[in-house]
Parts: sequence; structure tokens; C-alpha cells
Amino acid sequence: MYKINWFKSVFIFLSYVITAMLVLAIGSLFLVPEFKDVLNNLKGEEMRFSLQLSLITGFISTLLVIVFALPIGYALSRFQFIGKGFVKTMIDLPIAFPELVLGLCLLLLFGKTFVGSICRSMGLDFVFTREGVVMAQFFTAMPYAARIIKSTFDYIDPRLEFVSRSLGYSALETFLNVSIRLAGNGILAATVISFARCIGTFGTVLILAGGTYMETEVLPITLYLNISYGNMGMALTSGIVLVIVSFIAIYIFEKTEARL
Amino acid sequence: MSFFEVTHLSLNLGEFHLKEVAFRLEKGDYLTIIGPTGSGKTLLLESIIGFWKPDAGKIFLDNREITDELPEKRNIGIVYQDYALLPHFTVFENIAYGLKKKTRTGITEKVHEISATLHIDHLLNRKPETMSGGEQQRTALARALIVEPKLLLMDEPLSALDPQTRKNIRSLLRQAISERNMTVIHITHDLDDVWSLANKVAIFQNGDLIQFDSQDEVLNRPRSQFVADFIGASLFKGRVVSNDSELTKIDLGGIQLYSVDEAPVGSHVNISIRPENILISKDISGCISARNVVQTLVKDIIRDGITCCVQLDASGIILDALITNNASDDLNLQPNDTVYAIIKGSNVRIVSAG
Repeated sequence: MYKINWFKSVFIFLSYVITAMLVLAIGSLFLVPEFKDVLNNLKGEEMRFSLQLSLITGFISTLLVIVFALPIGYALSRFQFIGKGFVKTMIDLPIAFPELVLGLCLLLLFGKTFVGSICRSMGLDFVFTREGVVMAQFFTAMPYAARIIKSTFDYIDPRLEFVSRSLGYSALETFLNVSIRLAGNGILAATVISFARCIGTFGTVLILAGGTYMETEVLPITLYLNISYGNMGMALTSGIVLVIVSFIAIYIFEKTEARL
Repeated sequence: MSFFEVTHLSLNLGEFHLKEVAFRLEKGDYLTIIGPTGSGKTLLLESIIGFWKPDAGKIFLDNREITDELPEKRNIGIVYQDYALLPHFTVFENIAYGLKKKTRTGITEKVHEISATLHIDHLLNRKPETMSGGEQQRTALARALIVEPKLLLMDEPLSALDPQTRKNIRSLLRQAISERNMTVIHITHDLDDVWSLANKVAIFQNGDLIQFDSQDEVLNRPRSQFVADFIGASLFKGRVVSNDSELTKIDLGGIQLYSVDEAPVGSHVNISIRPENILISKDISGCISARNVVQTLVKDIIRDGITCCVQLDASGIILDALITNNASDDLNLQPNDTVYAIIKGSNVRIVSAG
């Protein structure tokens, strides 16, 4: 007689329960509003502004994140240097930080300290501005990208780089010809996850850039403001757009992770 | 100054370290490095190529100090056990990779030439992951040779291959290296590599270079029990009892042996005898030219492939003799048989006298 494997069955059952709850929760976002209302909301001025600002700041922030995460991830993977442990902890810290606290820290840094003064003297003001949206998104997404890229380099055999160096290529040429080429999937995964984090960042943006209507209003802020006004239709539409972006990001991440 | 020289090289990376390593090579020398795992062999190679900066000591290549030079400026090639081929490149691109840095002309011709020498010219469009270990290793070898490095380093390049492929590639390697008169340092655990490729041998133990000599010296005169065990020789302690014009007589406690090497009477010596230099006979009725004929008892017969190691007890001293299985069968050797061990005086080598 067939014996039930209770250990296996319970673990799989729990996976199904949580998946079902998530499907229902996300599904309700799509089932509650009328499709034509969603379409109308998407055509509205506020939603168009919000979507446009989210995409522009998301792309800029993601680009900045990757530009910094590549050397940071490589350094943490390959080099030994003074304070490496501290650097790694600090870069990872925002993952565990509440977004609101991170936003508050950035607000103080760019509002009250010499760093903010120096930036303002160069024409860069991050407090309650669209530049602040980019900065908030950058610091929220950065740790994820640095982690993914470091793990990717950890998996690449350093002897491939040794061989390239021995064949006459400098450290930078080897980085470009070998390391980055082999880390392609990891970099793509980091880019996708960073973009999703940037688009979805709420707390940090709210505190540093402010939730100003049609000024620093990105999609999560639109959702928040419309919930506050009691305009559920707009709030649900923002939620649907954010879920679609996240879903596409996770799908691409899963596909590329499988090839890592 | 020699073509390649390492002086007092020390490096401590915690788990692995090198202590005051020093040796010299001339142009065209083929050095094999042997020693147990973790003895610092790979660390030495990676220090020479510039991936680790030594704590102390200097490295010279072709009349130039290279200790602080960047790896890409040293003109030293490296071949690893697991090939380290660039997986995103084809075989052609892998072989041409280093050449492209040096020249823009004649790349295709040179790649075809070396790949023909190493019998991989039919694989040039393949990706490394689709090839066998032997094919990948020949590609790695072609990639290193094509840029004509002044010094070629190889870290167990044949150890991941099956015996037949290893034999074939060893033969190709010997041909390619000798054609280019290349200077080579080759780490191996396989004594066949040592005997068939090298003219110099270095033995490492726990970060120390404990013997560096010509192949013949290491083969016949291991300087310590560790080296003797590692290269499969037998080492005995004895005292010189007489020394006439041609032969030195050494007392090993239970038996006395003659050697053509010289040592002062009364001195304590270590003598080395290689197992393949001991002949076995059940009968010595005729006159024999060999100076040493010792009556022994067969203690054990250990078969290994086409040869067998016969352990002979000579009054408490154990001699290992290496003979073929055919010879053992012809002699009908059995444990506890009484046989004679026959050793030429020139095969009893005095290693050290004190």
C-alpha cells in the first residue's frame, strides 16, 4: 500500500497555502476595479505624470545603481582591503533598514549636513525635489544590486582572469573582456531587480523627496495620495501598474538566475 | 645570471606558505615540481606569474627583475589542471586571445599552425564546454604556447586526463616545448611526467624547497627519507667499512653492500637504491659481474598493473625490487621463497656522508 510522506506533504501544503493567499491578494487588485475605469485612469493627467516620472527616475536610478554596484560587487568579491567587512555591512544595511528610516537619514544628510551644502553649491538639491526621488531610489536599490553582482563574481573562477592577465591584458581590459562578459546574466538580473525596487520605493521617496502632487509624485506616491483622498480607482490603477512591473522584473530575474 | 632565478622567496597566506625558496633555471630547462597537496607548489607558480606579491625575495627573468611587475608585463604563460578556457569564446577565439594583444596580422595562420601541431584544428569553431578534457587541455596549451612566453608555468596540466590521453598529450607537449626551446615549470603528482619530461626536479614539503637537482640526481640520490618515499626509492643508513680504489664497502647493520661512490672509511652515510635496479634470481651458480649479491627472503609480492613490487627481507633490512609480472611468474615467486637480490655497485648511490 502506498505510504504518505507526511514530511514532504506538509512542506508542499504550506507552500500552496501561501501561494494561494498571494494569488488571491494580487488577483483582487485586478478583479475589484472595472477594466474600463482602469483604462480611463491610465489616461488621466495625474497617472500619466506619475508613470512618466516613475519610468524616468527608475531608469536613471537603475543606471546609477549598476554603475556603482559593478565596481563595489567586484571589489567585495575579489579584493582584500582594510575595512572590507565594515563596507560590506554598511552597503547591505539598507536591506534591513525600514525605508522611512533610510529616507530620514538621507533627509538629514542632504538637508542638515555639509554634504547637502556642498551638493547645493553644485546645483544639486535632493530635498523635496525630483533629484531626491532618484537619490532615494538609488540608496534603496543599491544593496540588492551590489549583493547580486558580488555573488555573480564569486561564482566566476578567478583563474580565468589570471589567464587573461598572463596573456597581456591589463586588469581593466580583463574586467571588460572576461569578468563582465561572464557576469552578464547576473548583471541583467541585478538591473531588473534594481529597476523594480526603484519603481516601487515608497518610504524613502516620501521622506526625502516629499509626496508632492504632480511634482515628486511617482507611482507608489500616487497610490498613497489617492488612498488618502479616498479615490480608490486611481489607487488601484497605480497598484496594478506596480504589480505588472514587479511581475515582469521577477520573471526576468527567475529566467536569468536559472542560467547563472 | 641565470635565465630564471628565484631568490629567498617567502609568502604567507595562512593556510599556504613559502619559506625562503631559491632556485635557478637556464634557458630551455624543464623543471617539474613535486610534493604533497598543500606544500606551496601552486602558490609558487602564482607568485612567479604575479598574482601574489611575495613578502620577501626576488624573481628574475631574462636579466630583468620582475618581482613587482604587473602580470601582463611579465611574458609568462600559465596552463591550469582544469584548463581555464574562456567559456564565452570558441576554441579559435581562446587560442587567438593572447595573440590579438600582441599583433594584428597573421593571427589566423598562427592559430591554424599551432592547432594543427596539437591536433585540434578541426575543433576551432567549437565552444570549450562541448569538448573532451584532452581537447580542452590541448586548447589551453595552444593558447599559452602561441604567444611564445619566456617562461611557461603548468599546474598539473595532465592530471585530469585518462591515462591514454595523458600519454598522448605528454608526447605532444614534449615535442612542442623542445621545438620552441621553452623554459618550463610544471607541477605534477605523476612521476611519469618527471621521468619523461623534466631535466630538473624540485621537491616541496610544507612550503620548503627540500631538494632541487637534476632529474638523475633526484632519481638516484634522494636527500631525505621524505624525498626517497616520494620518488619511490629506498634509503638506508650505513657506515663505510672499507674504501679501495674502485669500491666503497658499506655496512647496513645486517648486510654489507658495495658502491662505486666514494666516502671516507668510518663515516656514516645514507645510501639510495632504486627498486628497478634490483634484480632477483633463485640461482647464482655462475659468475656474476654485479658486486652485490644478497641472500633474502621474499616477504610480500604486490602487483600493480604490469609490474610488481617484491619486498625482500635481507637480515632485517627490507629491499623493494620492481620487476614485471611476467618475470615474477617465470621465477614462480612465492612469499617465504629464498632468492638472491643482485645489485650493481653503480646502483648503490651514496647520498650523503658525514
